[in-house]
Amino acid sequence: MNKKKFSLGEFLRGNSVPIMFILICAFCIPISGFSPTYLLNEIITRLGRNAFLILSLLIPIMAGMGLNFGMTLGAMAGEIALILVSDWQIWGIPGVVLAMIISIPFSVALGLLCGKILNMAKGREMVTSYIISYFINGVYQLVVLYMMGPIIPIAHSSIKLPRGYGIRNTVSLLNMRQCLDDLLAIRVSGVKIPVLTLIIIALMCLAIVWFRKTKLGQDMRAVGQDMDVARDAGIQVERTRIISIVISTVLAGFGMIIYLQNMGNLSTYSSHSQIGMFCIAALLVGGASVDKASIGNVFLGVILFHLMFIVAPSAGAKITGDSMIGEYFRVFVSYGVITVALVMYETKKRRAKQSLGRQLEEDQRKGEKA
Amino acid sequence: MSEVKEKKPSGSRKWTARILTLVVLIAIAAWMFVIGRGHTVYFDNKTLELENGESIGTLQRVDVYVNGNRVARLAKRERGMATWIGQNFKMTLEITKEKGDEPYTQEVAIDLPYSLDGIVVNLPGYLAGRSQDEWMSEFVPVASSTTEEDEEIITDEFGLGDM
Amino acid sequence: MSESVKRSGVQGKLRSFVQSFGLPRLIIAGFLLLLFIAAPMVGSDLGVQLTNTINRFSWNAILVLAMVPMVHSGCGLNFGLPLGIISGLLGATLSMEFGFSGPMSFVMAIVISTPFAILLGGGYGWLLNRIKGGEMMIATYVGFSSVSFMCMMWLLLPYHSPNMVWGLAGKGLRTTISVEGYYDKVLSSFLQIQIGTLVIPTGALLFFALLAFAMWAFLLTKTGTAMTAVGSNPTFARAAGIDIDRIRMLSVVMSTWLAAVGILVYEQGFGFVQLYMAPFNMALPAVSAILIGGATVNKATIMNVIIGTFLFQGIVTMTPTVMNNMIHMDMSEVIRIIVSNGMILYALTRKSEASR
Repeated sequence: MNKKKFSLGEFLRGNSVPIMFILICAFCIPISGFSPTYLLNEIITRLGRNAFLILSLLIPIMAGMGLNFGMTLGAMAGEIALILVSDWQIWGIPGVVLAMIISIPFSVALGLLCGKILNMAKGREMVTSYIISYFINGVYQLVVLYMMGPIIPIAHSSIKLPRGYGIRNTVSLLNMRQCLDDLLAIRVSGVKIPVLTLIIIALMCLAIVWFRKTKLGQDMRAVGQDMDVARDAGIQVERTRIISIVISTVLAGFGMIIYLQNMGNLSTYSSHSQIGMFCIAALLVGGASVDKASIGNVFLGVILFHLMFIVAPSAGAKITGDSMIGEYFRVFVSYGVITVALVMYETKKRRAKQSLGRQLEEDQRKGEKA
Repeated sequence: MSEVKEKKPSGSRKWTARILTLVVLIAIAAWMFVIGRGHTVYFDNKTLELENGESIGTLQRVDVYVNGNRVARLAKRERGMATWIGQNFKMTLEITKEKGDEPYTQEVAIDLPYSLDGIVVNLPGYLAGRSQDEWMSEFVPVASSTTEEDEEIITDEFGLGDM
Repeated sequence: MSESVKRSGVQGKLRSFVQSFGLPRLIIAGFLLLLFIAAPMVGSDLGVQLTNTINRFSWNAILVLAMVPMVHSGCGLNFGLPLGIISGLLGATLSMEFGFSGPMSFVMAIVISTPFAILLGGGYGWLLNRIKGGEMMIATYVGFSSVSFMCMMWLLLPYHSPNMVWGLAGKGLRTTISVEGYYDKVLSSFLQIQIGTLVIPTGALLFFALLAFAMWAFLLTKTGTAMTAVGSNPTFARAAGIDIDRIRMLSVVMSTWLAAVGILVYEQGFGFVQLYMAPFNMALPAVSAILIGGATVNKATIMNVIIGTFLFQGIVTMTPTVMNNMIHMDMSEVIRIIVSNGMILYALTRKSEASR
């Protein structure tokens, strides 16, 4: 952004998180002993799997609502849709498309709820959206564990618990496993490239770029900059904020379906619980901050974060002789990155506020003198 | 993707657009229902006992090709399976009737009933040209009672699965 | 709560009571009452139920009490409770490692965890002073990061006591460590009273009462009132010459230390030290307990702690048995998640309190 004068110090400070990750990866890759082909394969798989989910985070950031921990809501909507679709035995790409369509009403309803609640908690959207995700997780469990069966008909015993209600711990999505990824897939010297998935992601990126230029997108940015100014300019602030959350939730639902069709099975009660955290961590690793994120951050983030994720356990095992160390290390890094990003954001915000206050004070003094 | 967020245009146009989006989505969903229904087809090379006491004998060997891949090579009294999306099931059979016969191929197209998940096709019966309800039956999975204990539901709020 | 009930007429009283108590709390209290009424009807022994509730109250109350100082100083709800819990876990494991046993191990665990609590709490407080306004979110993630960092440490630190490490490897702490022979029920069994099926863990309740009283007394001292002032009106506090950062730091250290003691009391009742990811889950129940008790994001009293812990633990212990007996479905876990997080959401979205 600062094209005026390129200063190395500023560049380093502005990109400290990605640089740190590049160093971690550079350190761990040789130790882990994975072949470049393997790594490349994994990275491309994970890019296709996760990028769409992470893209869903961009719009609330644009609207100044911070990192949308409530994207978990969309993930849950996607999961409910997938459970239904796999009970109806709709397979392959039609199954994926149907699941996406079915997830929309759930996502919209949850997004509306989330947006309304966040409007009541302005200034602490993030912690609120984080608690919402837990709250809705309870509701999700109520629906999936108790209502599916007696109230929502579930026919197949491969999905339903033997006790007659509730869904099993894992739902097999074997019949739609990687159906998006495999269609049009090409292999380049042992590396499988899921072309269709990447095309969908690219279309999504274009849609976001286009969306930024629409009236609604401009409004969102205005709301993100300053709510009061936006309101004075005649923008319906509350409505705009709700829409941004709804869009994010719907996209997260689609993203979750893409994610799960790649995984090939659905852990009914845990697939969604960590997804928000990992997606947010990946976005931040890509150099995004709480108030600014670009499409570039998404891709850099997926690559760096998942590279770390792949190599850390085996590097940790080779160094310490204990495989769990690496597992814990990558969890620690994920949380650590989010913590650091949040701290940086808050200190920056505070500094800006202070300098604004100082300026006001100075102006006042000038005014008194005059 | 961008439902319920059309901007500005006057009230009625906005609503038409919304309803149109909704209708299109529902239409796509319905279409997916039709074309996406998956079935598991089982083919038996078994003697078919008919109600009138007649019976149709087995074939020496049948190779079953679905979408160009061989999914089963059936000797007498064997069963194979394939998955199929949609109702217009097609397969190619390479049939050896008796021992020593020259194998011949036959294209087979079967309309699968929408409501059945698993469908058993008795090949000798089919090839003998009998009526559909004589060689087609529903596959009923045998509930293995030993594994039907209630599994413990793990609703770990912080389950740290692999990504 | 009772000060505001001064309007004439029963209706006015009722309305102001509902207002000050908050509708969600009334619903929860009513729900618990219903459970207590339903319990004997579905055939579970009320004495046993009460004993369980009181027991769990005695395990958890101090963890909930740990919320109070930070709420008072305006740092919001301490979602970073796991940090304090880690200090307590360090105290517990080190005390066992050094070979203390019996009640002495409990005392030493508190003593050893204190410097850790001061150190970690100090760092945590310093961090929170730099990010005023965004405490709660960062607190959450400080808690998470520290827990996952300690996961590595539990494996790597050179513990050797055969009661704690993995038998085969001879190193690395186990996920759960029994405190039998150390401080199992050391407080609960002290002066224990038994009336029929009702058992009261007097010692643990007394210990909580002691800490609660100390907290109450502290809040009346000069530093204590300064803390309240910092939380309720920072501009005024600054004008009065109070060092805001120092007071906030103090509140964070106090909260962290109380969490450390709280987890030790929890362990003596529960019977096990839980390491690794276990502290992860522990902030939210404590947060929602104090909120159920009537606290808000920037106001909390000892009474809130007592009422809240009792209501929360009551629901947690009563729902499984009553539900199971009534409809043969154990929905307690789901109810717990919805109630506790719903309560936190309710508190976070109160308009009047969002001013900060």
